[in-house]
Amino acid sequence: MVPDGSELFWGGFGYQRAPIAFAHELVRQNKRRLNIQTCGSEVDLEIMCGAGVADKFEIAFTAIEALGLSNNARRRVTEGKLQIEDYSNLAMAMRFLGGALNVPFMPIRSLMGTDMVKHARFKGDKKLKVIDCPFTNEKICLVPSVQPDFSIVHVQRVDQQGNAQIDGIVGEDVEGSRCGKKLIVLAEELIDGDEIRKRPDQTKIPALYVDRIVILPFIAHPMQCHDYYDYDLEHLQMFHKLTRAEEMWQEYLDNYILGVDDHWGYLEKIGWENLHKLRARKPWGY
Amino acid sequence: MVKYSKIEFLVACASRHVRNDEAVFGGTGMPLLAALLAKETHAPRINLISEAGFIDARPREVPLSVADSRYYYGCSASIGLIETLGFILQGGRIDVGFLGSAQIDEYGNINTTYIGPFDNPKVKLPGSGGGNDIASSAKRLIVMMTHDKRKFVKELDYMTSPGHLQGPGSRKKWSLVGNGPDVVITDMCQMDFDPDTLKIRLMTVHPGFEIQDILDNVMFEIVVPDDVPTTEEPTQEQIDIMHKLDPHGIYLGKGG
Repeated sequence: MVPDGSELFWGGFGYQRAPIAFAHELVRQNKRRLNIQTCGSEVDLEIMCGAGVADKFEIAFTAIEALGLSNNARRRVTEGKLQIEDYSNLAMAMRFLGGALNVPFMPIRSLMGTDMVKHARFKGDKKLKVIDCPFTNEKICLVPSVQPDFSIVHVQRVDQQGNAQIDGIVGEDVEGSRCGKKLIVLAEELIDGDEIRKRPDQTKIPALYVDRIVILPFIAHPMQCHDYYDYDLEHLQMFHKLTRAEEMWQEYLDNYILGVDDHWGYLEKIGWENLHKLRARKPWGY
Repeated sequence: MVKYSKIEFLVACASRHVRNDEAVFGGTGMPLLAALLAKETHAPRINLISEAGFIDARPREVPLSVADSRYYYGCSASIGLIETLGFILQGGRIDVGFLGSAQIDEYGNINTTYIGPFDNPKVKLPGSGGGNDIASSAKRLIVMMTHDKRKFVKELDYMTSPGHLQGPGSRKKWSLVGNGPDVVITDMCQMDFDPDTLKIRLMTVHPGFEIQDILDNVMFEIVVPDDVPTTEEPTQEQIDIMHKLDPHGIYLGKGG
């Protein structure tokens, strides 16, 4: 349902609630020329630029944080196969908020005075504008709102209507889920509408925004999903190591993504015993 | 005599710059350890905030990501990015931010995005993340980095985050909320900024290094005051606490 060349808001933040299963499926369906818009994603961005699914990122950050640099993104940028338009986290979150509010731009007090203003790639002079505020005369930076074709958001629970509940932090997913033209919610668990209504404060995305729902377990593996499972540090370290060289990355790609039919095949490959070891424990949530 | 590694020295040194009751942006890595160490020692009431949305966090193990669930247990509120980077940080409510840097210039401006020319970069680094926001709006900024001559450059390949920009008056010109970098800490020395020129100035030199070592390891002219004391060494207590916080040596290294 995602055509080549689409723009996607990409949910999750850092190691939390990354829509990895969706990235895998985009790769298996051989999508091309996607533009991924997010604050800071990590393994998912590595998969999408590494497999050639995405050739544009509008992001603030890509690395595997504590583990080190994003090797695939680094190689694709050097090869000229990936264009990254650099913003800050607040700038991207405000661009999603602007899109969700249906206004053309949002003002922020970041980026000014730096090369983030001076240099742009594919967005050219539409990347941002620094103006004198018409009310106070101070300098202010305007960032353009985004309303991408799709918002892809991974949550813990959803009911049949599409009411989606997120545990832990939301990152930029409240704004991000509302800015896209179509919202696809990926959930670990389908629960009864009555259950949702017992904890309505946990519903971060009411059903009226939701277009499609996908229910699968371990969507974020090898990343984490608060209250459900922890990250798979061993797999994560292996992934990071294999992205260091193109041949090793291709091996990972063939083995774990292209070599399986679907997400269930991937989970089989990881092994249910391993997956169950990652299950979150109370009261810590990981 | 207390035995310590370079990383342990850096972390202990940075933690002393955090004052009690301050609101601190923690991040991950060495800065997070420094903030947690401060909380365990001289500054128990700091409000540790992670940009992913965790407020007043008290992680019992070191998080690997700013969004790590390890930040969740014991925190007072778990919200999102507009809250932390918008309402709290841009709202002027963060006292201290920490940043690392791949390159820094004499005004404390920071590059974490590209090595090499913008049009044909040699290396794509992680980018700003929340770094530019933190450098723009935190009241004080503490920069932590390992010391390497190639990192202390006359001209950055790319300026990701603002230090003192072009010197006096330039942060004001862009109406930036925060006051810019306060101190730069490496594994050789501590540097602050000359109040008149806002250029990097040598502050203290770590034991085992001479002033000349620092001059030999920066590519710009560094201000050297008459009195450059030796940096205080970490205490055994600080080192023990660090290892309790990072039992698997994820940041401190296995050997430490």
